Amino acid sequence: MRLPRFKYLGPETLDQALDLLNTHKDDAKILAGGTDLLVRMKKGLLKPKALISLKALNELSYIKKQDGYIKIGARTPLADIIASDLIQKEARALFQACEKIGAVTIQHYRGTIGGNILQDNRCHHYNQSDFHRSGRQACHKDGGKICYAREEADRCNSTCQSDGATALMALGAGIILAQKGGKRTVDLTDFYTTDGIMPHAMESHELLKEIIIPVQGGQSAYHRLAYRSAIDYPIVCAGVFLKPSQKNEIADARIVVGAMSRSPLFLAQASSSLKGKKLNDTYAFKKAADVSMDSAATFAVHNVGATLEYRCAMVSQMVIQALEQAAAAIKA
Amino acid sequence: MTTNISFLLNGDKISYEIKDHWTLLHLLREEMGLIGTKEGCGNGECGACTVIVDKLAVNSCLYLAIDVDGASIETIEGLASTNGTLHPLQQSFVDKGGIQCGFCSPGMIMSSKALLDENPRANHEQIKHALAGNICRCTGYVQILESVEAARDKGGQNE
Amino acid sequence: MNNLNPDTNREFSVVGKRIPKLDAAQKAMGRAEYIQDIKLPGMLFGKILYSKHAHADIVKIDTSKARALAGVHAVLTGEDVPKKMKMGFYKDNPPIKKGKVCSFRDEVAAVAAISPEIAKKALDLIEIEYEELPGIFDPEKAMEKDSPLVHEYHKSNVLNLPWKLHYGDVEKAEKESDFVVEEKFTTQWVTHCCLGTSGAIALFDSNDNLTIHTNTQIPSLAQKDFLESLKAMGLVNKRVRVIKPIIGGGFGSKLDTYAYEHISILLAYACRKPVKIMFDRVEEFKATSTRQPTVIYIKQGCDKNGKLTFRDMRMVLDNGAYTSWGATTPSVMMMPITSLYRVDNVRFNAKCVYTNNTYSQAMRGYGNPQATFAIESTLDMLAEKAGIGRVDIRRINRNQPGDITPQGFKITSCGISECIDEVEKEFAIDGPKEKGIGTGIASLIHVGGGARIYKSDGCGAILKMDDYGKVDIFTGGTDMGQGLDNITAQIVAEELGLYVEDINVVHTDTDVCPWDVGAHASRSTFVAGNAALGAAKKVKETILEYGSKFLDADPEDLVLRDRAIFVSGDPEKSMPIDKLLRKAHFSPQGKMLMADFFYDPDNENMGKEFKGNMSVTYAFGAHGVKVKVDEETGKVQVLDYVAAHDVGRAINPLLLEGQVYGGVVMGLGYALTEEVVTRNGQNMNANFRDYKLFTAKDAIKIKAPVVETYDEYGPFGAKGIGEPGCVPTAPAIANAIYDAVGVRIFDLPITPEKVLAALKEKKSATTEI
Ligand SMILES: Cc1cc2nc3c(=O)[nH]c(=O)nc-3n(C[C@H](O)[C@H](O)[C@H](O)COP(=O)(O)OP(=O)(O)OC[C@H]3O[C@@H](n4cnc5c(N)ncnc54)[C@H](O)[C@@H]3O)c2cc1C
Ligand code: SF4
Ligand code: FES
Ligand code: FES
Repeated sequence: MRLPRFKYLGPETLDQALDLLNTHKDDAKILAGGTDLLVRMKKGLLKPKALISLKALNELSYIKKQDGYIKIGARTPLADIIASDLIQKEARALFQACEKIGAVTIQHYRGTIGGNILQDNRCHHYNQSDFHRSGRQACHKDGGKICYAREEADRCNSTCQSDGATALMALGAGIILAQKGGKRTVDLTDFYTTDGIMPHAMESHELLKEIIIPVQGGQSAYHRLAYRSAIDYPIVCAGVFLKPSQKNEIADARIVVGAMSRSPLFLAQASSSLKGKKLNDTYAFKKAADVSMDSAATFAVHNVGATLEYRCAMVSQMVIQALEQAAAAIKA
Repeated sequence: MTTNISFLLNGDKISYEIKDHWTLLHLLREEMGLIGTKEGCGNGECGACTVIVDKLAVNSCLYLAIDVDGASIETIEGLASTNGTLHPLQQSFVDKGGIQCGFCSPGMIMSSKALLDENPRANHEQIKHALAGNICRCTGYVQILESVEAARDKGGQNE
Repeated sequence: MNNLNPDTNREFSVVGKRIPKLDAAQKAMGRAEYIQDIKLPGMLFGKILYSKHAHADIVKIDTSKARALAGVHAVLTGEDVPKKMKMGFYKDNPPIKKGKVCSFRDEVAAVAAISPEIAKKALDLIEIEYEELPGIFDPEKAMEKDSPLVHEYHKSNVLNLPWKLHYGDVEKAEKESDFVVEEKFTTQWVTHCCLGTSGAIALFDSNDNLTIHTNTQIPSLAQKDFLESLKAMGLVNKRVRVIKPIIGGGFGSKLDTYAYEHISILLAYACRKPVKIMFDRVEEFKATSTRQPTVIYIKQGCDKNGKLTFRDMRMVLDNGAYTSWGATTPSVMMMPITSLYRVDNVRFNAKCVYTNNTYSQAMRGYGNPQATFAIESTLDMLAEKAGIGRVDIRRINRNQPGDITPQGFKITSCGISECIDEVEKEFAIDGPKEKGIGTGIASLIHVGGGARIYKSDGCGAILKMDDYGKVDIFTGGTDMGQGLDNITAQIVAEELGLYVEDINVVHTDTDVCPWDVGAHASRSTFVAGNAALGAAKKVKETILEYGSKFLDADPEDLVLRDRAIFVSGDPEKSMPIDKLLRKAHFSPQGKMLMADFFYDPDNENMGKEFKGNMSVTYAFGAHGVKVKVDEETGKVQVLDYVAAHDVGRAINPLLLEGQVYGGVVMGLGYALTEEVVTRNGQNMNANFRDYKLFTAKDAIKIKAPVVETYDEYGPFGAKGIGEPGCVPTAPAIANAIYDAVGVRIFDLPITPEKVLAALKEKKSATTEI
C-alpha cells in the first residue's frame, strides 16, 4: 500500500514549524507519529500537499511538573507516558488509557499523545478504502448530504475513540495551541466540537504544543471495554477523577465517557451527584453510573461494531469500575 | 520531491536518494530488495513489517523513509551472523515450532529482539505484551511465546 | 487394502522426533520467497476493478480513457473473456463479469500497466454505468417464490445439488425416543486471514505455453483449471506449469482457482508479458472467500439410558452469488452428522441458495465445525434433559474400533474414549461449580486417511538418490506452512536409514512433481506420506539387493541405519550408503537409484445416498475448556484449554502440536470474536482492526495431549491432523458458557453482547415466574 505524493517539510524549531503552518495552512498537515494520519492518507481520506514533520522538535517531548500542573509536550510518545512515574502516580487514568492503545510495538513508540487526542473520529462507513467509498453517494464527512451510520441523520455520527482524550478530559486537562506570534489555552471540554466532521476546534494554522493537567490532589482511573486485549479501539470507556475532602468525602468528581459519541462526554450531572458522598458509598457510585448511562445515551451514536443498546448498558459498568478503582486508590 | 538520506542498515552505512512519500517498508522491499520485511496489511494492524529503528520496534509501513535519516535500522536480514549462524532468537523460533507459514516470523522476531535487547529477563506477560501488535494466523502463538522464552533463557547465546 | 506399513512397534530414529520445520531457518532469516517477493524481468502489474453494487445491470462500460493512459498495456472487460472460461465446479463464475453484477466481489474490468500506481489510475478512469437491481441477502428469503433471482438463467436461487440422506427411520425413532431436543443454530462468515495475501504471476513462452506462479493448495487441479482456460482462449494442446512459491498460509483458501489467477492469464496473454496481480489486505478480505455460513435446524433424541436414537438435521447455506467448494461442504458435514457418536437413524438435507453475498470456499474443517457446533451443543442439552452427565452421554454413545457407521464409514482405529479421558484428567467436566466459571466438552470425528471427493484421492512421489547418499523427493503434496515437507523427509529418512538433512523435498513445481489431488481434508500426511513411503520402499529394496551382493549377506538380515547398511548381528559387516550408491552407479551396467510411487488410498467414492467409506481411517478428538463469564459485561475469558487428539502416530510431535494450537485458536476466533460483517452484501470490516483475530495478548495456554492409536494403514500409523483442531472449539466454548452462567448461545460468534442479552432474558424469565 502506497502513500499519495506529498512534500515533506522538516522544521528544526517550533517557530519554523509555525511559520510553515502559517504559509501552507489547509494544504499542510502536521505529522507526529503518523499512526493515524498516514493510515488515513493511504485510504485516500485526505491528501495534504505537504506534511510538516515534528521529528526534529525534541522541544515538544517532555513530561514535567511545574506551577501546579503536569505538563506534557504534544510530541511525547505514548511509551514515555506509560513509563512515567509522575503520570502513573498523579494522573493514573492517563497511564491506564495509554497502556491500552493499539499495541506496544506499534503505537506506543511512534504514536504521540498529541496525535492521540487529535486523531480523527472513526466510522465504519467512512474509514474504508477509497474504492469502497467511491461506489456510493458522499456522506457528510466526505462533503455530501447523507449518513450511512444513521439513516436520515442531518449530521455526521462518527465516533471519537481516542483513549487519551477521555482520560485527559476526566483529569480536567487543558491544551495549549500555538500559532505564529501567539498561543491560546483551551479546556479539553471546550476543545471538542461534537461535530463528527471537524471533531475539534483547532485552526489549520495552529499547532498543539502542550497538554496541561492540573494537580489537584485526588485520584483518577480509566476503564475500557474492547473485544480483544490489543489492536482494538474501545467500544465504551470511562475516565473518572475523585478528589477527597478532609472528611473522606468526595469534594469534587469528574466523570467522562468515551467512544460513545462524536467526542468524549463530560457528564456534569453524574459528576456533581457524587459531591459530598462518602468514598465507600457504593450506592452513590451505582446511581452516578446510572445517571451517566442515561446522559450518555442521549448523545450516543451507533457506529463502532457492538449495538448501541449494549454499549449504553456498558457505560454504567465502565463508570462504576473506574469509580471504584479511583476510590480504592484514594484509600490506599 | 527527492531527498538524500543516510542511515545505518544492519550496521552498514547507507546513503540513498528517496522520495518523500516512500515508507520505510517501501524503501526496504521495493527499492533495496530486502524482502525479509513483510507487508501484511500496510496499516499498522499486523506487525509483519516490524523493524527496529534506534532500538525500538516499529511498523515500517507507517514510518516514512525520510524519517530514518541519521537513524540506525535493524532488519531481519541483519540478525544471523555473516558465517550463517542464526541469532539465538531465530534459532529458538526454528527449534520450538515458532514458524509455520513464516509470513509473520520476521516481524515477530524483530519485536522479540527489541524486547529482549531492552529487557533480557522479560516474563511471559511482558512477552505477550510486546508481541501484541504482531498477528499470526498459523501458530495460535503458543510456540511463538515458547520460542521467545527459550531464547531469553539462553541469555542471548546459542546452545 | 494396500497396507504399506512396516512393523509399527519398532524403535524409530527419525519418525516421532521433534524435528524443526525444514524451511524454518530460511524463513527465520527472511530469505523465503513468497509471491509478494517475486519479480520477473519485464513484468507488468495487473489490477482488478470490482463492482460498486451488490446486484446491478451493467449498462455501459467505457474504457477508452484507461486505454489512453501512458503505461497501460491492456484493459479487459467481460467482453474479452471467452464464453467458456468459467470457474468453480458449478461453472457459474466467469473471471470478469459481463452484462450484470451479482455481488460486490464481482470483477468488472482489469488492467495491466508498468507500475501498480498506473494500473490503479487506469482503474479509476474506467467509466461504468450501472442500473441497480434489488438484492437478496438472506438465503431463507432467497428461497421464497417471489424473491429476485440472482441468476435469471438458473430459474431458481436454490442450487441443484444432491445434499440429502436418510438412514434408518428418523420419524419412528423420534416417536420412540424418551427425550428430544430441537433447536436452530446459525454460523457466520469467517475468513482465512492468511497473513500473506494472494497473488499470481502469469507468463507465456513463445509457444504460448503458460507458466503461472501462484499460491495454491491444488497444483494439479489448478493446472487442469488453467488448461481449461487456455482451451477456452483457443489455445489447445498447450502446457501449463504451476509453480508454487512459499505460501503465507492456506487453511483451505487456496483450494480452488480464483478470478485473479485467470485474469492474470488473460492479461499476460494480451500483453505477452509476465503480469503480476497482488492483493492488498482490503482486497484479500473482500475478494477471497469465506467459511460457508449456515442456518441449522437440528433435532436429536435419546432413550432413557442416554443412548442416541436419532439425529435429524436440515441446513440452509448462503451460497453467495457464485459457487465454489463452500457449496460442497455438506458432503463433509455428513460425516459428523452420521458418524459422530453412534446413532442409527439419521437424516440430513442441505440447500445451497444463491444470494448477492460473497461466496464461500473450503476452510479448515470444511463444514465440520458448523455441523459439530449444532450436534455437540444439543448433545449437552439432551444430557441435561435426560439427567445424564455430559461426559457420560458421550461415553455411552462413543464410536468404537470396528464400527461401521450408518454412512458406511469403517472405523479402524478410534481413540475418542482416550481423548475424553485426557480431557477429564485436566479438569472435571461434571465436577463442582464455582460462580461464573464453567467447563465444556465437545468431541469430533474427521477424515484422517484421505477423503475421496474427486475421481482420484491419490498422490505421486518420485524419489532419486545421488552418489553422495542424498535424496531428492518430488512429491505431489503441498506444504503451506503445515509441515508436509518434514513429514515427507522424516518418512523417507526413517525408511532409508538416513538423516532428515539428507532429504530434499521438492513440492513446488508441476513440471517435476507428480499429480496430487490437493492439500485438503487433512490428507497430506496420510496420502502424500504413504506415497513417499511407497517410493522409499522401492528404493530400499534395490539398496538391499546391492547390499546383499556387496556385503555377501541375506537381504533379510540387512538393516539401514545412520547412513549405512549393516548386517544385523554382525556389526563388522557394513558399508556407508553413499559408498554403496557409488558402487552401484560405477560398476558395469551401473545403476542410479530412483523410484516412483503413486498412492491412491483404498477409500470409496460416495455412492447412492452418500454411502461409502470416504476415508481409509478417521481422526477423533475431544476438547475441554474452562471459561469465566463476566456477568456484568458478558465477556468470556478462556481460562484453560485441552485439546486431545487421536492422531494414529505423531510423526513429528512438534509440528503436530503446532497444528493443534493453531487450529484451536482459529476455532476460538470462530467461537468468540471473528465475523465478516456485511451490510447489503458489502464487507464492512476488511481490516485487522475490525476483523478480530486473537492477538498474542489474547493467547492462552493450551494442552495438547496426543493419543496414539497406530492406524494400520497410516504411514507409520499416522492419521491426518491438519484440520481437527478447530472443529469442536465453538461447541466446547458454548457448552462451557452454559455451564458457567446457564445461558446457551445458538448464534456464532458468541460476543459479549449476545451473552449479556441472554443473561438478561434469563433473569427476566425467572423473575416473571
Ligand atoms: C492498529 C492501530 C490501532 C490503534 N488503536 C488505538 C486505540 O486503541 N486507541 C486510540 O486512542 N488510538 C488508537 N490508534 C490511533 C493512533 O495510533 C494513536 O491514537 C496515536 O497516539 C496517534 O498519534 P500519532 O502521533 O501517531 O498521530 P499522527 O497520525 O501523527 O497525528 C494524528 C492527527 O493529529 C495531528 N497532529 C498530531 N500532532 C499534532 C500537533 N502537535 N499539532 C497539531 N496537529 C497534530 C495530525 O496532523 C493528524 O491529523 C491506533 C492506530 C493503529 C494504527
Ligand atoms: S457517521 Fe459521519 S463519516 Fe460515518 S457515514 Fe455518517 S456522515 Fe459519514
Ligand atoms: S504491514 Fe505494517 S503493520 Fe501490517
Ligand atoms: S506462521 Fe503463518 S502467520 Fe505466523
